[in-house]
Amino acid sequence: MMEPIKDFARQLNSNISLDENLTVRRQNRFFLLNKTLKPLASKDFFHAGIYLGKEKDGVFFPSFNLLAMIADKKANKVTVDEKTEWLFICGRDVFKRGIIRVIGSMKKGSYTLILNSYSECLGFGKVLSDLHEAKEGAVVKNILDIGDFLRREKSSSKTHS
Amino acid sequence: MMSGREFFISRYQELGWKYEDVELKQAIRINSMNAEKASLLKRLESRGIKLEKIPFLEDGYWICKSEFSVGATSEYLLGLYSIQEAAAQVPATLFTELTDKTVLDACSAPGGKTVQLADLMKNTGVIIALDIEKRRLTALSNQLERCRVENTITYNLDARQASTVGVKFDRILLDVPCSGNFATDRDWFKRRTIPDVERNAKLQREILTQAAKVLKDDGEIVYSTCSLEPEENELNMDWAVKNLNVQVEEVRCHGEKARASIFGRHLDSSVENCRRIWPSRTQGFFVCKLKKVCA
Ligand SMILES: C[S@@+](CC[C@H](N)C(=O)[O-])C[C@H]1O[C@@H](n2cnc3c(N)ncnc32)[C@H](O)[C@@H]1O
Repeated sequence: MMEPIKDFARQLNSNISLDENLTVRRQNRFFLLNKTLKPLASKDFFHAGIYLGKEKDGVFFPSFNLLAMIADKKANKVTVDEKTEWLFICGRDVFKRGIIRVIGSMKKGSYTLILNSYSECLGFGKVLSDLHEAKEGAVVKNILDIGDFLRREKSSSKTHS
Repeated sequence: MMSGREFFISRYQELGWKYEDVELKQAIRINSMNAEKASLLKRLESRGIKLEKIPFLEDGYWICKSEFSVGATSEYLLGLYSIQEAAAQVPATLFTELTDKTVLDACSAPGGKTVQLADLMKNTGVIIALDIEKRRLTALSNQLERCRVENTITYNLDARQASTVGVKFDRILLDVPCSGNFATDRDWFKRRTIPDVERNAKLQREILTQAAKVLKDDGEIVYSTCSLEPEENELNMDWAVKNLNVQVEEVRCHGEKARASIFGRHLDSSVENCRRIWPSRTQGFFVCKLKKVCA
């Protein structure tokens, strides 16, 4: 059941381990409970504990909670400056000049978390070119950023107002 | 006619409040489980956001000046604070000791108070959060994810069926559906009538009845509305005292004491323990705390 999560974490060079007994799948969404929640969460809950992400058409979409959990441990991480942070949460890619620090792999095709200068996880992206070879231009393609919360709000008010 | 601006304003006057235009101030609440207060305040200040401490709230601040939306900063998106109207921050603070408790948030979406409860509980214990509208539960899930809430289970369930969850609760928040107030709805006076108010009051009594059933003997209920209408507030509390074996407890919070005599009706004297927050810098609100009467 945990494979989609583990596979995703591996792409970030992380081997995060979650307690199988406390991880539940509800339709296509995954949640991590704790010992207090577990006996109280009946089958028809809508949300429980920590939302980990969802699987759609074979692709796993992580939650920001899962990304933050991965960011706490060993994984590929890129720390960006304040201007790049702002651009990234607006959905833009990361340019080489905005990178302050790199931890782990920055090989083309790998995935990396994007952190701000407080080590808070802003999302993740795909490395477009090896950092040391890259000249100017985008080096990490934005795949998911926390600005998504605003996009979700907007799209739900469009559909429902 | 039991509707219209003049009709409602004269009722408020009878309740002791003279109508005034209201300038609502946007407010935030620091999520102390995710942020250290002093450093967050510094971060926001460095972004040019000017804040003023709300005197009657521990973690609440009014936004005095900001060049951009406080709902679009990294700090907001990372769940370090929530945008929550000042009066709406009061109800959750009325509970005593919340750590490790089993809490019901019976009408929870979009979740401003659920997140606040989780924060006050430091993510311990469990919150069972219900809402009758599924699409509003999605908004609640987004809040829970953004604010890193870990102790909540949500169900798409009518609060009047809370007993089907099969749990007895230490604390119950009833932030019930209500008629709202003019401070947050420009067309309020045009849209609302007394039959509307009475319909809501009936639903509120049904939710109260169920809450009393699932409350532990030593538990606490906090009841709140953003309605100014006594039918949904003092009169419902008088009804609860007389029908549900509960009493209204004294609380220390912002707002003025409610009246135990309303429109010529004499209510149970404990109704005075309820608080009314009339609109000014905040919207209108009504809050109180109920406990079971021990045999
Ligand atoms: C005042 S709002 C709650 C606001 C929420 N407590 C917060 O702080 O964000 C009332 C909520 O009650 C829900 N509601 C209405 N009737 C209900 C019922 N019978 N059972 C449960 N929820 C109900 C509405 O969908 C709405 O989300």
